[in-house]
Amino acid sequence: MPNRKTKLTCGSDEHTVHRRLFLQGSMSAATASVASFNGLFSIPALAEETKRSGKKCILLWLCGAPSQFETWDPKPGTATSGPFGAISTSLPGIQISSLMPKCATIMDKLAVVRSMSTKPNEHFQAIDTLTRGDKPRPPFTRPILGSVIAEQLGQLDSPVPQFVLLDPCPEGNEFKGFKAGNWAGWLGAEYGPVRAGGDYGIPNIEKLDAISQADHADREALRSFFSKKFENDQRSAAAASHNAAFDRVKGLMSCAPLFDLETLPKADRERYGAGAFAQHALQARHLIENGSTFVMVANGMPWDNHVFQHEMHQMLVPELDNILFQLVTDLDERGMLDDTLVIAMGEFGRTPWLNEARGRDHYPKAWSLAMAGAGIRGGVVHGATDAGGYEVVDGKADNQNLFATIFSALGIAPHEEYDLPGLPTFYRVEEDAEPIAEVLA
Amino acid sequence: MRCLLALPLVFFAAVVSAADPSLRINALVKRSWEEQKISPAGPCSDQTFARRVYLDLAGRVPTEAETKQFLEDGRPDRRRHLVDLLLGSEDHTQHFADLFDALLMGRAAESVYDQRTTHGWRKYLEAVFRDNRPWDEVAREVLIARPENKEDDGAVWFLYERKNQYQAIAEAVAPAFFGIRIECAQCHDHMMVDEIKQAHYWGLVAFFNRGTNKETPNGPRVAESAIGGFSEFANLEGSSTPNLLTFLDATTVPEDRPDKDEKQTETDELYVASDVAGDPREPVFSRRKRFVTQILDGHPLIAKAMVNRVWAILMGRGLVHPHDEIDSMHPPSHPELFEWLSEDFAASNFDVRRLTRSIVLSDAYQLDSVRPNETLPPESFAWYLERPLTAEQLARSVQVVMRGHFQNDAHVVRILRQQVLDVLPDAIEIPIKDALFFSNNNAFDRFVRESRGDGQLLQQLLTYESHERRARRLIETAFNRPADDEEVRTIQAYLESRNERLDAALADVAWSLLTSAEFRFNH
Repeated sequence: MPNRKTKLTCGSDEHTVHRRLFLQGSMSAATASVASFNGLFSIPALAEETKRSGKKCILLWLCGAPSQFETWDPKPGTATSGPFGAISTSLPGIQISSLMPKCATIMDKLAVVRSMSTKPNEHFQAIDTLTRGDKPRPPFTRPILGSVIAEQLGQLDSPVPQFVLLDPCPEGNEFKGFKAGNWAGWLGAEYGPVRAGGDYGIPNIEKLDAISQADHADREALRSFFSKKFENDQRSAAAASHNAAFDRVKGLMSCAPLFDLETLPKADRERYGAGAFAQHALQARHLIENGSTFVMVANGMPWDNHVFQHEMHQMLVPELDNILFQLVTDLDERGMLDDTLVIAMGEFGRTPWLNEARGRDHYPKAWSLAMAGAGIRGGVVHGATDAGGYEVVDGKADNQNLFATIFSALGIAPHEEYDLPGLPTFYRVEEDAEPIAEVLA
Repeated sequence: MRCLLALPLVFFAAVVSAADPSLRINALVKRSWEEQKISPAGPCSDQTFARRVYLDLAGRVPTEAETKQFLEDGRPDRRRHLVDLLLGSEDHTQHFADLFDALLMGRAAESVYDQRTTHGWRKYLEAVFRDNRPWDEVAREVLIARPENKEDDGAVWFLYERKNQYQAIAEAVAPAFFGIRIECAQCHDHMMVDEIKQAHYWGLVAFFNRGTNKETPNGPRVAESAIGGFSEFANLEGSSTPNLLTFLDATTVPEDRPDKDEKQTETDELYVASDVAGDPREPVFSRRKRFVTQILDGHPLIAKAMVNRVWAILMGRGLVHPHDEIDSMHPPSHPELFEWLSEDFAASNFDVRRLTRSIVLSDAYQLDSVRPNETLPPESFAWYLERPLTAEQLARSVQVVMRGHFQNDAHVVRILRQQVLDVLPDAIEIPIKDALFFSNNNAFDRFVRESRGDGQLLQQLLTYESHERRARRLIETAFNRPADDEEVRTIQAYLESRNERLDAALADVAWSLLTSAEFRFNH
C-alpha cells in the first residue's frame, strides 16, 4: 500500500505503531516520546499493548435516537411509561420493556447502561459527538470510532475492508450531512469506511462480462504504470490518493461475495428478518467472521419519533430485539463473542413526557444503551434514573466515559495522546475520563 | 440605497481599470515569497498552460488541433490571446454555470437537474456568465426572487428548490453570498468564531421565513407574507431570545413585533400588487427586500466571498481556506492581496470576467505544478496546485479525447455527475468507490469501447499502420503532450500481445490513460 503512512516498528512486524504517535526519527526518539504517553502504558508494556489483538466491533447505530422507556429503562406504572409495560429478564430483579422479549432471555450476556447523560440536543451535533467521542474542536477532526478501531486493531493489508458502513438509505436526512463529513479525520482516508448498502452491496464491485479477468488485470497494470509514473514525476499527493484507491479495487473485488447476501444460508436470513437493518446486521456478522474489524450498521434514522412514538416504537423495538438477540447468540455460538464487541445505541434518548403529537422529543439528559461481547461483563445493569426517568440518579456517564469504556473493552489505550503538528495536544478520550468500570470484564 | 453606492464606485472604476490587476497580484504574491524566503516553481510550459487553461476556463481539455494552434501562435502574448478567446467562448459559460450550479445548489438527482433546466435556473446561470452580469446584481436578483423580466425567471429557483425550508435557505445563503458557514450557530453562538452569533442564524432564517412557494401562471414564485415569522430561539442553557432581523455586523432591521399573545391579522393594506401581472402581491414591508437593501447591498463579504471562490476555482485553494469560511478563525494567507482584489472587484462593478482574467494571467497561475520543496505549504501559491477535474470537466474531456467533440447533456455527463460529487473539495481524497466506478461501471466502459464511430478515436487508430503511431496518438490526444519512448514501448508491447483483438486492446489502452492520475487532475 504505497499510500500508507510510514510506520515505525518496535522489534517485529506485529508491533507497528502509527508514526504520528511518535516523534519522527530513530528508535531512540520513538522510545523517548513513549514516556510522555501520560504514563498510560509503560515502555515494557508497549509491545503487548500495541499488538493486534484480534478484537472486532459491530456498532448497531440506532440513528434518530430510540426511547429508553420502550427499551432498556421502562418505568411501569408511572406517568412516563408508555403502554407497553415491562417484563422480567434472565437477570433477577431486572426488567426491560415488554417489546424486547428475546433480549430479556440473554440479559446475562448484555451490559446495559441506564445512566447516559450527554449534552448535544440536536441530531447532527449529537451524532457527531456520539460517533467520534467528543464535540468538535476545529481545526482538529477527531476520527470516528470505526476509523480509530480500524487503525488500532485492523489488518490494513487485508483485502477485506476493515471499516465498513452498511446503510440502506444513502439519502437519509440529518444523517446525510454527517455522512458527507470527514470520518477518518487526521488518521487519513485509508482508515475511512467502505460504504455499502441499499442492495446490500458495493456499487461496481463486480467485473464486467465484457472484459476477461486477465485483460482486467493487464489494463489495470497499464493504468498503474502511467499513473504511478505521473505520481513519481510530479511527487503528487493527489495522484497518490488516486492510485491508492485503485490499488484497493482488486482486493475489494476479490471479496465481492462477502457483500452478496445470496451466499448466506436462507435460514439465517429468515432468522434475522426481512428488513434492511436485519439483513445488514447479518451481513455485519458475516464481514466480521471474514476479517473486517469494525462494521457500523446504520439504518437511515427511523428512531426519531416526534410523532406517534408508541406506534413507531411498537414496530421498531421488536425488530431491534430480534436482531440484537440473533447477533449476540450467533457470535456466542460461533465462539466469537469474546472477541467481538457489540454496541447498540443512538445519539441521545427521548423525553419522559409526550408532546402534542404523541411523540417523544430529544432528551440527552438521561438515556440508555446496551453492549455485549469483547471486554464487557455480561449481566450488568449500570446506573439508574429516577422514578420518572427525568434525571440520572446513579452512575452518570457521558460520551467520554462511554468511549473510554469501548476503547478499554477492546484493549485500546483510552487516553493516548494525539500529538499533531501545529495543533494543541488532543487525547483519544479527553479529560482523563474514566471508563465505566462496572461493565468491563 | 443603490444610487448612493453607485457614485463612489464609478469613480473608483475609472482609477483601477487603468492598471493591470495581474501585475498587482504578481507584486503582492511575490512579496510574500520574499518575506518567507520561498523560491517558487518555475513557469510552466506552453503545452502545460494550454491544457490547464482550457480546463480552468473552458471546462475541458483542448483538442489536438486547438493545442497545435496555440503552440504555433508566434505572438509573444499568445497566452493572453488564448485566455481572451476562452473567456468569450460558450464553453466558458457552460463551465462556470456548471461550477456555480454545484456551489450554489449542490449536486442532485437527475430529476432535480431536469427541474433546474425546466424552470429556467440553468438558463439564468448561463446568462449570468455569458453576459458577465455584475455579481452583486445577481445576488440581489436571486435573494429578492421577484424577476422583473421573463428571461430572469430562473432566479427564483435558488429559494424555490429549498421548498420553504427556511433553515436550509439560510444555510445556503450564507456560503453562497457571504462566504461563511453558519450551521454551527443554530444551537449556540459559534464556538470558535466570535462574530457569528446564534441570533444571526435565526435572524437570517427570519428574513426568509415568510416565503411560500407558489405555482403561478408565470411559473414558480416565492410569495411573501406580511405577517408572522416571529419566534424565539433557545440556546443550550435554555434561555430564549426573539428572532430579530439581524445578520452579522449589520444594524438590526427594525420591525414591529406583536406581543406574545397578540394575533396578527392579514389586511390588504399590508400588500401592494406586483409590477408583473400574475405574480404574487408583495408585502409593503418585505423582509426579503430589507435583507437585500439593508444587509446585502454594500456588505464587504459579497465581494470577498466571490473573490475567494473564483481564486479557489482557478488557484486550487482560496486565499481563505476553506473557501466558504471567511471568518476570524480562518485568516487569509495574503491579507493585503485579499483586501485589494475584493476592493478592485467591487470597484469594477463586480466584474467576474475581469477577476478571472486577472488571476489566470498572473505569474502564480502560470507556475509549474511540481512542488519545489516538500516543506512549502499550499497557501504560499508557490506552485500550481493540482486539483481533480469536476464531473463535468471530466465528462467533457473524455468525450473530446474519445470522440473529438462533446455534448453537455451526453449520457456520460449524467453518469459522472452522479458519481464524482466534489467541487472545490477542502482536501483531495479520491474515494474507493470512484476507483470501482472507473474499473467496473458498465456505462463508462461502454462509452470507451463504443468510441469507434466514424472519425472517433478507436476507429482512427485502427487505420494506422503501426503500433508506434497508435501509441503516440493515444498519449498526445489524452495527455496533450508528446509521448516519451518508454510510454510508446509499453503501449506497443501491450498491443503486440493482442494483435488478434486489436479493437479491445486499443480500448484498454485508452481506458488506462483516461483513468490515470495525469488525466484525472488539472496540473
